[in-house]
Amino acid sequence: MGAPVVCRIGAGAGFAGDRIDPAVTLAASGQVDTIALECLAERTLLPALKARAADPEAGFDPRLRRRLSPLLPVAHANRCRVVSNLGQANPRAAGRAIARLASELGCRGLRVASVIGDDVMGQREHIAWDRPVGGELIGAHAYLGAQALSQALEEGADVVVAGRVADSALFAAPALQRLDQGSEGLAGAITVGHLLECSGQLSGGNFAPVGGAMLSAEGYAWLGFPLAEVQSDGSAEIRLLDGAPGILTPETCTLQLFYEVHDPARYITPDVVLDFTGIRFEPVGHNRVRISGARGRGSPPTLKVAGFMELPGWIADCEIGFAGTGALDRARRAAETLRLRLSNRGGDDLAVDIVGVDSILRAGSAPTLAAPAEVRVHVSARCDDLEAAQTVEDEIYAMTLSGPAGGCSVRSERRSRIEVIDGYIPVERIAPQIEWSTAT
Amino acid sequence: MMIRVGDLASGRAGDKGDVLDLTLVAQDEATYELLSRALDAQSVQRELNRVVPGPVKRFEVPGLRALKFVLPQALAGGVYASLRPGMHWQKAAIWLLLDLVIDTGGGHVVSNANS
Repeated sequence: MGAPVVCRIGAGAGFAGDRIDPAVTLAASGQVDTIALECLAERTLLPALKARAADPEAGFDPRLRRRLSPLLPVAHANRCRVVSNLGQANPRAAGRAIARLASELGCRGLRVASVIGDDVMGQREHIAWDRPVGGELIGAHAYLGAQALSQALEEGADVVVAGRVADSALFAAPALQRLDQGSEGLAGAITVGHLLECSGQLSGGNFAPVGGAMLSAEGYAWLGFPLAEVQSDGSAEIRLLDGAPGILTPETCTLQLFYEVHDPARYITPDVVLDFTGIRFEPVGHNRVRISGARGRGSPPTLKVAGFMELPGWIADCEIGFAGTGALDRARRAAETLRLRLSNRGGDDLAVDIVGVDSILRAGSAPTLAAPAEVRVHVSARCDDLEAAQTVEDEIYAMTLSGPAGGCSVRSERRSRIEVIDGYIPVERIAPQIEWSTAT
Repeated sequence: MMIRVGDLASGRAGDKGDVLDLTLVAQDEATYELLSRALDAQSVQRELNRVVPGPVKRFEVPGLRALKFVLPQALAGGVYASLRPGMHWQKAAIWLLLDLVIDTGGGHVVSNANS
């Protein structure tokens, strides 16, 4: 435990729609020097790219003002820096918007760094895709590492805003230049970033302990987001603020460590290939865990690229409810009827099932033992165009007049068919830049 | 003795593109040994293929009592291509493992608790 603490990093958001208040609470605590906000799922870039195409000053997270208005004054007053990928498809414009907002909020002199350089549409010929690009490519963004984010912080940024960067890099950036030489410090800092990047999922959210005890509704409602004190050797203490509700144990840490990881001995990030197999989690107090033992296996020669395509057609996703005595029997008959009405569709393009019975786990669903008071028939269909989607939706509505009694509470939505494909670009092709804006 | 996997381990499901990943964390060393014996990739694949397609690759991290099952083709087309209601059904997919029943004597998967 001897190595000096090089940063105290708080998890302020784990997805674009995440809660606003936990980051404010962490900033106000005075116990973190940086808060990272992860606000850019892979697919979130697509609407952002469309917004940018329509307006060159748009394309960043539309929640920017809502998220940062309560946070910036508190962070500024507590000398807590903010790092985020909420710049989405337009970190440059996001930086200007943040500086304007900070000016309005009275955060005079607040310096915002935009990290640019993840958009690789102009270098398409250098991207190796892992399968053929089967449609019109709308955008291509490389996952940047922590280096440019860290440089911006070292040069005095109060807020660093980026687009596509590895989620873990957002959280590791403040430690990056203060770690011991060698790969273990870096591996540790990036691993801590990986643990923090899903906010409440490390501290009791999406967690069912064996035996089934859950947090209370108050616990989930005010769930504490985690923070980490990272030491120069890459080890860290991860914890909640005193009194914050949550569960932060070696078990929740292990679940998050392996979340969306494939080979635990080879988790590739832009900065370092991580080997998690030697990691140790040690409980050191209530909602406090020490992590050590992350190993680095060199840096990868390429960066991952996410390419976005919109396929022609839609998925129509509709439901019709049945309630009262015999609801399940009537719903089952309606489902059979809909299969007949939609039988011109291939099996791969149509799903008919019953919400409350088997719509999620399908053949892996528990048997229905008691007659449910109400259920919903669900239909999803892949449709070539809007007219085909309308036809499916009409068939659901027709159940209200020509199907089993009491079909009700109809709902339908349409999803466009987005495809994300993975590619790789040589690291040396990517040269992130930093642009500055200052609040006046 | 028959026991449900979810009575021995907690778990979490994740996704990246087509890939579904399932993590189990056993409660203690003995449980980890039992689960490692019972949940070989082949048995898990047999059970999971009733619901999702493709092969299963297993990784073990005994130091953390964790087993990982990675299914590279399970979510063909990614979450946007799913024909299940709404988005992100895969969050529930961990129950495909938690609801398996194993025989603690023979150390093998007997069935899905629900079948």
